[in-house]
This record gives sequence, structure tokens and C-alpha cells, in this order.
Amino acid sequence: MKQKVYKFIFLLIMLLPFCINAQQKTIDGKVTIENNIPILGAIVHVKNTNNISTTDGEGMFKIDAPNEGIIEISFTGYISQSIPVTSISSPLMIQLKEDIARLDEVVISGLSTNIKRRNLANAVATISAKQLSGIAPAQTFDAAINGKIPGAYINASTGAPGGGVSVKLRGVTSIFGNTQPLYVVDGVFMDNSSTSGGLNAVTSASSGGNSSNQDNPSNRIADLRAEDIANIEILKGASASAIYGSKAAAGVIIITTKRGNKDKTNISVSQDLGFVKVRKLLGTRPLTRDIVLSQRGWDVNEYDAAVASGKVYDYEKEIYGETGITRNTQLSLNGGNSTTSFYFSAGTKKEEGIIKRTGYSNSSFRLNVDHKVSENIKIGLSTNYINSSADRGLSGNDNAGITLGIALSSTPSFTELHPDSKGNYPRNNYASSNPIETRDKMENNESVNRYLTGINAEAILQKSQRSLTKLIGRGGFDFYNLQTKALFPGSLQFQQINRGTSIQGNTNNLNTNYIFSMVNNYSPTNKLLLITSAGITQETGRYNNLLNVATQVIEGQSNVDQAGALTSTQFRTRNTDNGIFAQEEVSINEALNLTAGVRFDKSSNNGDFSKYYAYPKAGLSWNLTKMSFWKMDFFDNVKLRSAYGQAGNFPAFGSKFTSLSISNIDGLPGSVVSTQRGESGIKPERQTELEFGLDLGFLKGRAGLEITIYNKKVFDFLLQDRVSASSGFTTQWINAGDLQNKGSEIGLNAIPVATQNFKWNTSINFWKNRSKVTKLTTGPVQLGSLAGVLLGTFQLEEGKSATQIIGLTDEVVNGPPIKVWGDQEPDFQMSNYNEFVFKNKLSLRVLIHWKKGGENVVFTNLQSDFGGTSPDWDADANGNKIPDGLDRIMLIGRSAVNSVKSSSYLRFREIGMYYTFDKMKVKYLKSIQVGVSLNNYITITKYPSYDPEVSNFGAGFSSGLDVLPYPASKRAAFHLIANF
Amino acid sequence: MYKSYTLSTILLFLLTLFIASCDKDYGNLNNPTVDSYYNNANKSQLNNLVTGTESAMRNSLGFYLDDIGIIGREIYRFSNSDPRYYTDLLGANDAQLQSTGFYIVNVWASRYRVIKNCNLLIESANKSNLISDSERKAYVGFAKTIKAYQLLLVLNLTNKNGIRIDVSNPDQLGPIVGYDEALSKIADLLDEASNDLVSAQISFPLSSGFSGFNDAAGLIKFNKAIAARVAVYQNNWDKALTYLNSSFFNLNGNFNSGVFNVFATGSGDQLNPAFFPQNSAGEARAAHPSFSKDIDSNDDRISKATLRTTPISNSGLTSDRDVWVYKNNTAAIPIIRNEELILIYAEANIQKSIFSGAVTAINIIRNGHRLANYSGAMTQSALIDEMLLQRRYSLFSEGHRWLDVRRYNLLNTLPIDRANDDVWSSFPLPSTE
Repeated sequence: MKQKVYKFIFLLIMLLPFCINAQQKTIDGKVTIENNIPILGAIVHVKNTNNISTTDGEGMFKIDAPNEGIIEISFTGYISQSIPVTSISSPLMIQLKEDIARLDEVVISGLSTNIKRRNLANAVATISAKQLSGIAPAQTFDAAINGKIPGAYINASTGAPGGGVSVKLRGVTSIFGNTQPLYVVDGVFMDNSSTSGGLNAVTSASSGGNSSNQDNPSNRIADLRAEDIANIEILKGASASAIYGSKAAAGVIIITTKRGNKDKTNISVSQDLGFVKVRKLLGTRPLTRDIVLSQRGWDVNEYDAAVASGKVYDYEKEIYGETGITRNTQLSLNGGNSTTSFYFSAGTKKEEGIIKRTGYSNSSFRLNVDHKVSENIKIGLSTNYINSSADRGLSGNDNAGITLGIALSSTPSFTELHPDSKGNYPRNNYASSNPIETRDKMENNESVNRYLTGINAEAILQKSQRSLTKLIGRGGFDFYNLQTKALFPGSLQFQQINRGTSIQGNTNNLNTNYIFSMVNNYSPTNKLLLITSAGITQETGRYNNLLNVATQVIEGQSNVDQAGALTSTQFRTRNTDNGIFAQEEVSINEALNLTAGVRFDKSSNNGDFSKYYAYPKAGLSWNLTKMSFWKMDFFDNVKLRSAYGQAGNFPAFGSKFTSLSISNIDGLPGSVVSTQRGESGIKPERQTELEFGLDLGFLKGRAGLEITIYNKKVFDFLLQDRVSASSGFTTQWINAGDLQNKGSEIGLNAIPVATQNFKWNTSINFWKNRSKVTKLTTGPVQLGSLAGVLLGTFQLEEGKSATQIIGLTDEVVNGPPIKVWGDQEPDFQMSNYNEFVFKNKLSLRVLIHWKKGGENVVFTNLQSDFGGTSPDWDADANGNKIPDGLDRIMLIGRSAVNSVKSSSYLRFREIGMYYTFDKMKVKYLKSIQVGVSLNNYITITKYPSYDPEVSNFGAGFSSGLDVLPYPASKRAAFHLIANF
Repeated sequence: MYKSYTLSTILLFLLTLFIASCDKDYGNLNNPTVDSYYNNANKSQLNNLVTGTESAMRNSLGFYLDDIGIIGREIYRFSNSDPRYYTDLLGANDAQLQSTGFYIVNVWASRYRVIKNCNLLIESANKSNLISDSERKAYVGFAKTIKAYQLLLVLNLTNKNGIRIDVSNPDQLGPIVGYDEALSKIADLLDEASNDLVSAQISFPLSSGFSGFNDAAGLIKFNKAIAARVAVYQNNWDKALTYLNSSFFNLNGNFNSGVFNVFATGSGDQLNPAFFPQNSAGEARAAHPSFSKDIDSNDDRISKATLRTTPISNSGLTSDRDVWVYKNNTAAIPIIRNEELILIYAEANIQKSIFSGAVTAINIIRNGHRLANYSGAMTQSALIDEMLLQRRYSLFSEGHRWLDVRRYNLLNTLPIDRANDDVWSSFPLPSTE
């Protein structure tokens, strides 16, 4: 291993030619776009050098270049132009054309190298700042990417303020390993874990045999402020992400935040004001005296009294029907000079939820500074401080009957839950808790203080006309402290046993990472470019979670010492992962691009912590239009591409040990063997991905089509296998088998209309994925559901889809008792983004998202049937003279037909309309933009529960479970942006 | 220029060497590992295993009591969050007991987890050089007794479907053995344990649940009481009486003397899972209506099921009485107590047709609960009925009735609440077996 690296570096040295001094020439000029509008911040670059200049507010620039050099002018979203210095007569006037197919977009090709999309071998999706937060902003960053990434399947684990989003790229990556992509923000690996607030102590949600996290905590990437983001690149599978090695199996999302320009300072202030409302309410059962009489256990006298006094309520509406006010303020400063530039932003948002006493707030400061120490050395610094707080209420699955949803499901409208004049809440005779009381008294807060700092240093070690060698060091840290606080006062109905519970959690997490790499660009001839890069990486993680559960808490107190009993748990993880990588990119005549690379990784989490695992990759793209034989004028770009790569997924921390848990009695400390058996030989999962694609550009750059097919295979996937419990263990980590995902992604970008006064910009994406378990060393495994086949459960089975849902059936033709009721995987998804611009001033942006097919396991509606509160309980849709509610209850135990439901939808995800005033009367004010937006406002679906994009069992494998969630909300806002 | 380049190259190379050579293994940061016990465990490690064993006996105990209580038509377990209490356990419509249901999976796993801990305790005590032989025998004797008791609890649920006895090697689990063989293995294990305990010196602490039984002699008495219960299940009446005599059986003693699972609010401790406050709505344990219907009006055991302010219903089941056996969240749950031993004495005597001895014991129970002496027929079948009736009320909600009616093939006499309900005789083995 070490020898290989040495050899490689030696080779690198051999490749370096001598330095050549050249004669310099000063060029000035102006860069404009259509209608001769000057642009600010266009990049003027002398090729193969570090010599870069940017345009000012009038589009003007000035740069020194050698006589034999080539000047390249580029601007995000526009086709760049290259001009040999010899042919330039100053001043240089350049007009850039819009890059619809985004061929000139610079995307990542390695850990420290970039490539233009024109030459890229992979399908890398990108999201611009405008698409991310410029249509109709979502509450958190991760919710804002939904519908914008072809190949992604995104669900919310809860509608509660503060987020909780699961992002899955290209199908099933892992069953029990990490399924969520790696987030890299300005070179810093940003932690995206979810830490439970310990609510299980009151809800007992996972006491019934399911170990998945049912507290619906938010995931920490939600802390990031979308307004600060300039660009997002998504590496969806191993063929693109292999260079991130063993962390990249679930894909990598690379986020670049905004940076300063080299011009006079711009100040921008934006203010949003809006509201959130529940997307949908299920309604309650209309009652009559006969219905009350027929429902066992309901008190008809209570009903009569309630009707007589007019005290019949709609508790669902009362609890979920609040209108929350949202506000968001952002101040950003952006400026600099030729050596130093900066971007500073301060933002604060505060939002109320659709349930009283829930809400979210986030405040953030960011300072990004770039400094040129000398001609050859550049340093960039990105710092971010975030403070966020979310009051999340109490929802979702529980086995104690106390969450708002479960309590509501059995509470009839005629019972009185409101406090009397002295503030005493009545006991709910129909459920374990009084949801109004619970809402008014309990607290469930997550608050975060987080610091991210990234540093990026580039030094040119050598440059000549034909060669450029850079040393790049990049690294940083991400530290956060998360406090969770859940408080249930002793006066609550369900606190009669515990007499007050206070759950206080404290989590510290520190991630660090660095990359040192050397990059050499060498072009022996004008037609050949070789980019060689090699380097080392290290990532470390330390996580420490301390959770205190105090019961018998003194009334009015929350400190855990103000209590009669206290139970503490602590959980720590620590890992160090090291990597070595090398990559070679060859570009021949800008037509043929070849890439080959390899990364070697080891981790302290592996069974063998000193073993290196190799992750190779290779790519090839062939641009036919650059070939001399190409004669078809209709196409301006035709590219064939193919890429292959491998990536891994580490085993979970501690999976190699058989440990003993604490189990005390009567003040004596005890140890009892853990239910999880360790596997000392545990290996990382390995993924290979092969991707083919065809990119077309036609209609003179007005349209671009991208077609990609992939085959992603996962080998040795980790399974927390259920073992014979008579061994004393219930689970064991094993490398259980293989699975594959085949899919396709098609994207079309076009400008159908472009006139002086009206422009229409559209993009359509289509994506689908099919998974299959190709090998399973154990028998079929049911996992991750509520009540097994009774309501529907996932079952891993060789030869079948990895996300099939099986359940009981009474249909004789299907061979009872069990059949496949559905699949969590959608048939396909489509999204359509349109931007209409009138007179360059008024802009209407609409994002539509269609998900066809895919089933959820829905328990929410059945729960209301059990409680006798479902709105259609007394309907008789099938005409059998038996109320439908009873019909559905009677089918439980025979068929899962009422709990496996299609989650198809068509959603107007984001609609935004903005108007820009740019001829301002006051001199210091450059422009004002006003807008209105609607987020998730209109949904067309037959889905019976609150929202089809639900995943109440968290961000792991088992998504699409719907158990009395915090209902999803829709948002509307007014926007005002002033630029100074 | 060149200098800095060469320098950086060397630096990068050295760094590579450095990271390539420093291998990191952080060990298990959160808790001890099993391996550390095999390696000459000391007394405090072994004591931790004893306590862990005792503590873990309480895991899923609430489910166990619910299983037996619901199928034995002693109680209803009302729940808004899990329908399986009404469907699977009562056999509503076509519902069956599932091999993946929490009611068997959790109980089975929890009992075998204790057994695993016992096996670890035995193995690490045998490998330790830091304890005396008599101390070793104490650890081993305790572990075997608990192991046998835990096996019995699992067998009580799976019944004819059998259990695994030899589970010491997780990679090579022993066969599943039938009911009779399993019972005799359990009996043998108890005998082995009591032999170990004879010459043992106890150097480990036990909870207050073992108060009065926390020395070698006390543990033997506990062991013999369990052995007597096993002998009764084997219909081995002579043996039952022999075991009774070396246990803490006392015809005139306190009904409630015995060994208990105790609960406390301390850190890492547990609360009584079978406790619900009176008049709970939603989640509740209520007495089966037949409890108050069949009870003698003078019987003070009616206090085990108190009248609710409003009846509770769900899924076609209604009850107006709460189960009120465990009156607070730290109330102890009996493992075995003298009242059961007196009834075992009665049963063995009935079976041996020594009716006078049987009636003496039955009257002690009856008088203890404000009932007059037994006045029924002096026939074996009448006395068996009477003995089962007394067991039903004396051991209400302690996990017996279903087993008792099953032993006497009387499952078909249990009341059915809804037309299509079933009375199960055995739980299926978990699907993972």
C-alpha cells in the first residue's frame, strides 16, 4: 500500500515539466448577457493558471495574460467562451448565451478536481440557489430539496416543526446500514444523525418488539440555512461517489455556500412573512343518539347532556387546526477586493406549528472569507454558527395511548376535555390521556448550538504553459451540542404512575475531516489534457449522548434532581477512518474523457480495523459533436457516457461486540447479556454501480435532454438478523446478501419561448427505480413494521423487491393467508419546473411533483375505526348493510387490505410569483423584489391519511409507515427583498 | 519554488506513512463485553451477573401475566394502541396466535436472555481462579435454579410445542424437546442446583425479593418450592409432597411468605409492569366479568378486582372491575409463595386420595379469605373442582389459571365472550426458532 503511494508520487514528479516565463499582456473588457445587460461576477480566467478576475457591476474586468494564453469567460448558467490572447483586441466585448443544457456548469469529478458537465461521465444533479429557496421556501433545508432531484425518494418522518426528512437516492442502498446520503458542506462532513429525545420512556413505542426510532426526532442537516447555499451537487450512487469511498454508498450531497465577489459591497435584506396550516384533516364521525347507543362504552347520558348544552366539539380541528405565523429575516453582505472577498449573513426565522405550543426557530451567522496570500496561494474560510430550537409536540406511535393522535382516535366529540374555570382538566374517559391537557402542559424541545468551520487552502507548487501543479488542503470540523427536553407534569392524566416525568438529553457530536491532495494539470499538446490527483483523507467522529429520565418530578420543576427517581443512560461512539486516493483524468480534444481512480479506506468500525478496502472507479464520456465526422447541425451536443464505481457502507459502531447491559434491582448493580450478538468479522457493505447515459443538446442550445440508466448492486448488505432467541440473543449483525437497483432518469431542459417580453423556462424530470434482493443467506425476513402481516410488513425475500409489502389476505385466488399487497417503491416519479418571466420583471415559478404508485402501511385510519371516531364509520360503501367502520375492524386478522394503501400523489410543491423593481428613486437602493409563494399547497391524492409523504419510523429502511403522525402542513408567505 | 514543492511532497508522503501506520481500535465505549467475563472474572463481576440475572427476570413479565390472564379468561387487557390483545390472544374471528407476535416473541426472548446470563455466570464462575470452591457452588447453584425456573415459564406458554433446553452454544442450539421431556429436564436441573447449594457459601447479595432466602439454606428452600410446582405439573404427587417438605411450605404460615420479583424507582431498576391505576381509561387491565360472577359473596378476594366508576369497553368486551392485585408501581410480583404451596399440598393429597389432609389445607385457604369450611362432596372430582376454584381466586393474575385448567383438560369450560373467539392451548414457537 505505502509503496504504491510512493510510486505514484514519484510518477507525479516525473510528469512535471520545467517552469517557463512568459510575456504578459493586459486585457480589459465587458461581459454582458442577452439584451446587453451587464453582469456582475462573471469569471475571467487565464486557462491553466491561477490568474482569475471577476467582472464588476458594469460588467467590466481587467486581467493580465501571457501572449500565448487562452482567456476563458464564464458565468454560472451561461455557456462559457474561450478566446486566444493573440486574437484579442482590447477592449474585449463578450456576450454570453444562456446554458440551457447546463453544459458549462462545473461539477465535481474527484475529491479535489472539477469538470465541466460537457465532459462529465456521470449524471450529477445540481440544484441552484434559485431552485432551492427562490420558489416557495420550505421550513428546513432538507425539505426544500424534495421534487428537485431526479432519483431521490424523500419522505418526512413527522410534520412537526424542525423537520425530520429521509432522503434516499436511487432505491434501496442498505437495510440496516446507513441509508442517508453523506452531506459535505464547503468540504466539511456535516453530521446528519437523528438523536432520540427519549420519549420512549413515556410512550413505550418500541416496547412491543420494534427497535426502530419512533420518537421522530429531526435530523441535523435541517440546521443548515437554505438561504446561504449557492449550489448543491448530488452524487447519487457509487459511480460518481466512489472517491468518497466507504461513506458514499448512499450518495453524497455536496453543498457549496455563497462566497464573496471581488467588488464593492452588496447588501441584501430579505423578509418573509407567512403562515402554515394543516394540509388535510381527516374529520370526525357525525354522531346521532343511535350511534352513541350502539358504540359500546360510550355514555349516552353524556352525549345527551353535551347536545343539550351545545358542547359537541371537533377535537381534531381544535388540536391540528391552528394557523401558525412564520417569519424569516436574512441580512447578507457580499464584497471584497482583488485579494480578499467575503460573504457574511445573519438570519433568523421563527415559525409556529399547526398545533399550539409547537414551533421552530433558527438563527444563523455565516462568514465566508477568501484571501489570496500571493499569486500562488489562496485560502478560503467558511464559518457558520447555528442556533435552532424546535418544540415538537407529542405524536406518532405509542403503546401507552398518550400521543395526541392516539388519544384523539378514541375520543368522541361529545366528551368534555376543556379545563374548568379553575384550570382543572377533566379526565378523558375514552382514552389514556386528555389530548387538550397534554397539548397545553407537555413540552418536547430540541435545541442545538452548532459550529461549522471549513478551511480550504490551495498552493500552486509549479506552473508552466503546459503544466500546473497544486497542493490542496481542505478540512474542517462540525461540532454541535443538542439538548433535548421532554417534560410531562405529574398532573397529566397519563402520569398517574410516574407522577411527573422529565427527560433531559445532552448530546455532543464532533466530526472532523481533512483531505490533502496534489493535483497536476498537464497538457502535452493542445488536444490532450491530463489531470492527475492523489492524496490522503481522514474523518473522525465522536458522539456522546447522555439521557436522564426522571420520574416523580416535583410539580412545576423540570430539573432531573427535583425528582423521586432518576434513570440515566449514556451512549458513545467514536470512529477514525483513513483513506488514500489517486485519480487520473484524461481529456482528448475535449471529445473523449477518461477517468480512473481508486480509494483505499479503513475504519475503526470494521471487524478488522487495520484492513484497507479498495473502492475503484472509472468513467468514459465521448462527445460526438466534437468529432470531425459529426455533421448533424440539429444537435449542438451529443454525448455518450458511461461510469462505474464502488462505494461502501461501514457497519454500525459496536456491531462487532457482544456486550452486557446494565440491569439493576433494589439498588444493586447488575449486568445482563445484551440481546444483540456481536460479529467480530463484520465487513462493510459494498456497492457497485454501472451507469450509462446519453446527453443531447439541440435547437441551438435551447433544449437539452439527459438520459441515464443505472444498475446499482449492493453486496454483503448488513442485516440485523433475528436469531433464534433461545440463544439468549434476539439479533445479530450479519452480512446477509446482495441486492440490486435498476433504474432510469430522464431530464429535459428547454426554453420553449424567449422573446423580448416573455420567457418560458421549463424542465421535466422522470425517474424510476426497481430493487430486487438477489441473494439472501437467511430465510425471508420480515422487518420494520407495526404488527407484522396483520397490517402489512416489509419482507426481504430472495428474488423479490426489497421493499415489497406483504400482509394477510382472505382472497382465495391469492392463496391465503399471505400475499404481496404492494411495494414501497413508487412506479415512477416526475417533476416539472416552470419559470415564466414577463418583461424581465415579473417571474412566476411553479414546481409540480407527481409520484405514481408506491404503498404505505397506514394505521392512522384504522386506529380511528377502533376508537369509533372515523368520519366514514357509519357509511356503507359496499352496500352490505354493515357500517364500513365495523367492516374494516372485522377484516383485521383476515386481511391487510385496509392498511396497505397507495401513496400516489400529484402535488403543486412550490409556487412563487416575484416582481422586481429595479429603477429606484433612491440612489443607494439598487432593487426591490416582492413576492408571494405557496409551498405544498395543493395535493391531489386518494391517500386516506394526512399526507402520503410520511415515514413515522424514522429515516431508516422502513419508510412509509403512517401511525398517527404530526400532520403535515402547507405554507404561504409574502417575500420582500431589498438590495443595496 | 522547487524547494517548497519537494518539501510538500515529502510532507504528504510522511503524513501518508503516519496515518497508514496508526490503526485505531477504540474498543467498546459503552459497556463491558462478554469476553471480559471468560477471562478470570472476579467476585464483583460475578455478583453483577447475579444481580443482572435477578433483575432481568422481570423483563416482559407484564406480557407473560397478560398472556396467561387473557387466554385463561381472568382478565381483559384494554389497549387503544395494540389490537392484538383483542384479536390474536382471544382468537377473534379467524385471528390466530402469530409466531411473530410480541406476546410470545418478547416473553420467549426475555426468559432465554436470563438463561443466557445464567450460563455466562456458570461458565465464568467455573473459569475463575479468584473464588473458593464453595463460593463457586453458590454461583452455579443459584444460576441453575433460576435457569430451571425461567425454562418452566417458557414451557408454560409453548406447552406441547416444547422448548429448547441446551442453549449454551448460540451456534449449535440443542433440539426442541417436547413437554414431558422438558419438564423432567427442568426437574433434574433443579436437583443438580440443590446439590450444588448444599455445600455452597453465598457471597453475593440478592434483592429484598429474596429476603429470608438469601443464604444457602434459603435458596434450597426456594429451589424445592419450584421443584414441587414442577412435580405437580408432572402429576408426580409423591415427589411434590417430598419437595414441599424441604421447601418453605408452612400450612399455618403466612400466605404471602415466599420469593418475589421486586420493583423500585432507582436508576436502571424497573417498575411493576402489571400495575395500572384504578379507573384507567384506554390502557387498562380489567377483571373478566366471570371473576365477580363466580365468586362467593363473602370471599375477601373480591378486593383483587375493584369496581370501576365507569365500565370500560373495547372491541365488544366490557368489564366493570379493575384488576387490583398490584396496588402500586413498586408492588412485588410473586415468584412463588406459601399460598400456592398450601394449594399444592391440597392437590397432591386429593390425587393421592388423602382427602382429610386436602380438606385441612383447603379450609386454611377458605378461612383465610373469610369463607366457611368446605362443605362439598368428599369425592376426588368435587375436591379437584374446589381446589381449582381456590387456586383461581388465590392466585388471580399471578399467571396460573390458564395452566391449571389446561392441566385438567378443562379449557373448553372457559367462558367465551364473542361468538367466534377461541381458547388457545399453546403458543407457537417464535418464528425465529
